[in-house]
Amino acid sequence: MLNVWKTGTAAHRRYVLRTFAFMVPYMLICISMMVTDVFDEVIGKPAGWILAAAVSAPVIGQLWATLSLIRESDEFVRAVTAKQFIVSAGLAMALATFWGFAETFAEAPHLPGWLVYAAFWGIMGCVAPFIRASN
Amino acid sequence: MKNRLKLLRVERGWTQEQLGQALGVSRQAVNALETEKHDPSLDLAYRIAVLFARPVEEIFDNPHG
Repeated sequence: MLNVWKTGTAAHRRYVLRTFAFMVPYMLICISMMVTDVFDEVIGKPAGWILAAAVSAPVIGQLWATLSLIRESDEFVRAVTAKQFIVSAGLAMALATFWGFAETFAEAPHLPGWLVYAAFWGIMGCVAPFIRASN
Repeated sequence: MKNRLKLLRVERGWTQEQLGQALGVSRQAVNALETEKHDPSLDLAYRIAVLFARPVEEIFDNPHG
């Protein structure tokens, strides 16, 4: 991310800023949920739906940030970014499908569905260095 | 796509950054063109041809003939 800031285009720098703007509230909610019991009292109440919407809103924001990067970039960056996004999303969906069936039929331990977003970014971090060509 | 972009750029003493600015693309895009990791759109190929005042065929090898 810091490398992108130093060597990237103006569109890349706007993307980094937007990513931080969306990821900070997302991470705060997720970390609060994992290490504290601050959200326990909303379980089973309408506020639980509001919490679910609040944590998914930054995910939609991040999608907008990525589409903005594609729109504001030149044809090479646009093609490579789209390729990285498609491969990462496809692999994350394949992983979620695999684990879902493994839970149902192979007695794999249950994992919450929202982890698919973290898995997507983990996969993106792994595949992006290898997707550097548009052709 | 094989091309003579790097040769033309170096002949003029330009950096990838400078060529990118002249073409309205990023330095990464220029690097990708020079290393054949990106096939330019027709629009970009014509912009490059105009900048170097040469026909497109003199800069990019036609892969189909």
